[in-house]
Amino acid sequence: MKRTIWRCRACLLLALGAGLPVTGLGTELGNWASKFDRAMAGFNPVGKHLRQPLERAVPNLSVRGFYRNWSDFLLSESGTVGFRDQDYRFLQLQNLFELQANYHFAPGLDLRGVAHAMYDGVYDWQDSRGLFADRLDSEAKYYNTSERVLRELYLSWRRPGFDLMVGKQQVAWGKMDGQFIDIVNSMDRREAVQLETEDFTWRRLPTWMANATFHFGETSLQLLYIFDFEHDRQALPGSPWASPQLPPTSNDLVLPTRRPRAGDFGDHQYGLRVDRSAGALTYGFVYMYAWDKNPVDRVLGTATNAGQTVLRIAPRHERLHHAGITADYALTVQNVPVIESLPTVLRFEALYTNGVRFADFRKRADALAGRNTDGTSKRDTLRAAIALEFALPGRSTLILQPSWYQTINHEEELGFGFGGGIGDEWSFFPVLFFSRPFGFTRDRLSLEFTAFPLISGPDAGWSGIKTKLRLIYKFSQFVRGQLVYNGYDSGSPSDFYGQYDKWDNIGWELSYEF
Amino acid sequence: MSFDLRLRPIIRWPATSLLVLVICAGAPAAAEDRTWRTVDELDEEERALYDPARTTPRDSAIPYIPAEPYPFEPPYTAEEMGYRSAEFVHISRWDYALVDVFGVVTSSGYINQGATVGYIATGGRDGFKGYLHDKKAGEIYTRWLMHDTFPPENEGAQQLWLPYRTDDEFRTKMDFFIYSPQLRRVRRQPEPRRDQRFPDNSQTFDDVIGRDPWEFDWELIGTDVIYETMRFPVTRPKITLNFPGKGFVERDTSSLRPMGDEFPHYGPDGGVECWVVKATAKPEWLPGYAEKYLVLWLEKNTFYPLRQEKYGHDDRLMMIETRLAEKQNPALGEFGYAAMMTTYWNVDFDLIGYSNHDAHTLREWTEEQKDMIFTAEFMRRQWQIEPLKTQAIIDSPDQFFLRPHLSPDKFPAVRNPRLKPVVEARYRAQEAAGKLIFETGGGDAAD
Repeated sequence: MKRTIWRCRACLLLALGAGLPVTGLGTELGNWASKFDRAMAGFNPVGKHLRQPLERAVPNLSVRGFYRNWSDFLLSESGTVGFRDQDYRFLQLQNLFELQANYHFAPGLDLRGVAHAMYDGVYDWQDSRGLFADRLDSEAKYYNTSERVLRELYLSWRRPGFDLMVGKQQVAWGKMDGQFIDIVNSMDRREAVQLETEDFTWRRLPTWMANATFHFGETSLQLLYIFDFEHDRQALPGSPWASPQLPPTSNDLVLPTRRPRAGDFGDHQYGLRVDRSAGALTYGFVYMYAWDKNPVDRVLGTATNAGQTVLRIAPRHERLHHAGITADYALTVQNVPVIESLPTVLRFEALYTNGVRFADFRKRADALAGRNTDGTSKRDTLRAAIALEFALPGRSTLILQPSWYQTINHEEELGFGFGGGIGDEWSFFPVLFFSRPFGFTRDRLSLEFTAFPLISGPDAGWSGIKTKLRLIYKFSQFVRGQLVYNGYDSGSPSDFYGQYDKWDNIGWELSYEF
Repeated sequence: MSFDLRLRPIIRWPATSLLVLVICAGAPAAAEDRTWRTVDELDEEERALYDPARTTPRDSAIPYIPAEPYPFEPPYTAEEMGYRSAEFVHISRWDYALVDVFGVVTSSGYINQGATVGYIATGGRDGFKGYLHDKKAGEIYTRWLMHDTFPPENEGAQQLWLPYRTDDEFRTKMDFFIYSPQLRRVRRQPEPRRDQRFPDNSQTFDDVIGRDPWEFDWELIGTDVIYETMRFPVTRPKITLNFPGKGFVERDTSSLRPMGDEFPHYGPDGGVECWVVKATAKPEWLPGYAEKYLVLWLEKNTFYPLRQEKYGHDDRLMMIETRLAEKQNPALGEFGYAAMMTTYWNVDFDLIGYSNHDAHTLREWTEEQKDMIFTAEFMRRQWQIEPLKTQAIIDSPDQFFLRPHLSPDKFPAVRNPRLKPVVEARYRAQEAAGKLIFETGGGDAAD
């Protein structure tokens, strides 16, 4: 099996090498490539026929957008995997169209709107019994609610000393790969372990809020008042990335989830952030009084279902206090062997969260036995990462980012909770990222490799590794394509990555921006 | 007749151009048309302006610079000429706003362009004097904030460059931050490597930020007369430029002169007299630097570098940079010239790049603006405080700038501008056609 995977990886590279209009081609092919390049250089139909005329007619309006197609294809169809019937090949056939409009009323006063239209063909374009999430929620297939179509709409008022933005928006805190202090908006996590940092901007779920920032020289203070709430969207049962370890049904009686309400003042969320620059060092602090974006099952009691005693469960969101820090520092290391100098950046982020509620399986057993407990326990969690980024010769970049997730006072019976170790007391991801463009293609072709090994302890140990190899090619100033391989290797079927051992896939992405 | 001399009248009288091209293509330069002279051939006037001394007293406070106060009095040593040329870096040493339109074309016709609105705030006095004396090594000497406006993929992206005054002890060139609209985050980045070209571009970091003259040994190799620097193709007879106070102005490309319209020192035939100097990198200042030496053509009165060639450690030609200058800051007199357009021909990869500084607008930033705009935190506000527009983006590959003149006959004792056969074939095809020729066979290879 592993040999097959490596063969596939080699084939992917060979296919790329053969398929691209690069070096070593004969005259005819070279001239064909040249014709293609020159034709593509001016290919911008929406820009020419929509954007430019519109902006000429309404000078205060600016418009932009993109169309993007993502497709991921399983390397093999594995049949029954855990609780899943993996009788499908395409993990996504997503088509996303974004239109963004900005209207400039006066100096410092602007209105921005962003709309999305999404259609995922995985449910229509392949015959599968294992994929049925679109029947549970059509949002899995396309965005059909105003909430999803209208992604952002906010009025911004900027003065030298402060900014105020009111409306539906997303706020990204943090600078790391992954989420550490990036806690403001919830996320559409339909791709589960394949969700990447570069996709967050399309996957975040913007919320209605007031966002004010005050600027005092090298220091800034940001205040958030969030009167709306969006919960995380996890991979639905019957969706391509639903966990094979989760049974699709439960005997327990699960009541509707109680979500925080915009109309209830007591349910609103608040955030605060302070940043300061001091030469080569920048640092900041964040605090947020927020809701856990994912509900936790609270046991209300027991009931009888088909003659069995089962739990009566009410999923509820929990209030959390988050406190975090962020810092980065730049330096150029001299007298490095071979390469002489090494420009380097260090980044650090940490988030301490108070009052995370975990499902406690011992208490749930107690509840089933008739004892008075809600089946949960509260713990504090800490997640932190330090990243070292190096600018290597050949326009190459290397990033090492050890990341740590810790549940404080962990017990074996605890389930998953925000910010804590994954199924264990702690989890450690020594992430490695490498990228470089290829000079022989004039940097149009670039390679990115990322490895996400996972070690958890003290019980789980090695928990699998995700590897990602991406080849990106620029067809023109407006059109870009990429081929991606994602592999999930080793670890046991109950591990974070190990459960997706049969989900190795290759994908392509084509994007046109105007 | 050199290529320089030949092409100037062609551009002015396009009706005759085809005939002249056919006659002149590949013809060797006639001795009587030679525009360049070695040091031994300098005339009396030039000898009066040139001090051949290779070692001069050093400054007591900054031991690596000449003791004579900048900007020096004639006669000038080659080193002093180098210092004077350092006045004119890619991003001028005063406060202003601009739109930098830049791009690159490959030999197959793939073009990659960008446009960025830049705000520049220089610390200390304007000009090189401010860099030399008003800032200590380790202090930030200028602040550049760039807002990308093209291509659509980059719209909203921002960069903050905070270059340092450096010396042999403090070598970090700058603090560097980016704002990515996709990530919606400000990120501190490692500074780019100095001698490495930017991805998908032909400029290196040092081409943008400038090289400190004390990192090089300077030598005068002669004089020359330049008639043409930037070269427009026959397919682009006009260009629309944004002039402050005038707005968009359409100009005949043949009317653009190397030092701008107001320059008072053009020769009767339109030529610009230049000192030609060689700058050799000092290994102790630039260990492992890819460029062994530079050859620069410095306008004789201002020392403005109109042309620069880079050579590698194997003496191969790596790059030719040519500029069209314009007096953008009249208050500074002969120090007020700035690069309006620049071509960067990376010979190794046959990449032709350009940078057009459009809408150069002098600014006097208030202290409040300086504190507000030129910080990493400001980038998160996504606020382009002074939108500037440009129409200088190139529409199609065949309108791209030509490769600079190769002038292989000049200064053969110092220069060896040989090309690989495939690149030479493209160069000759370009010279014959008056525009870039892409379908040469062999694809996109540097070979």
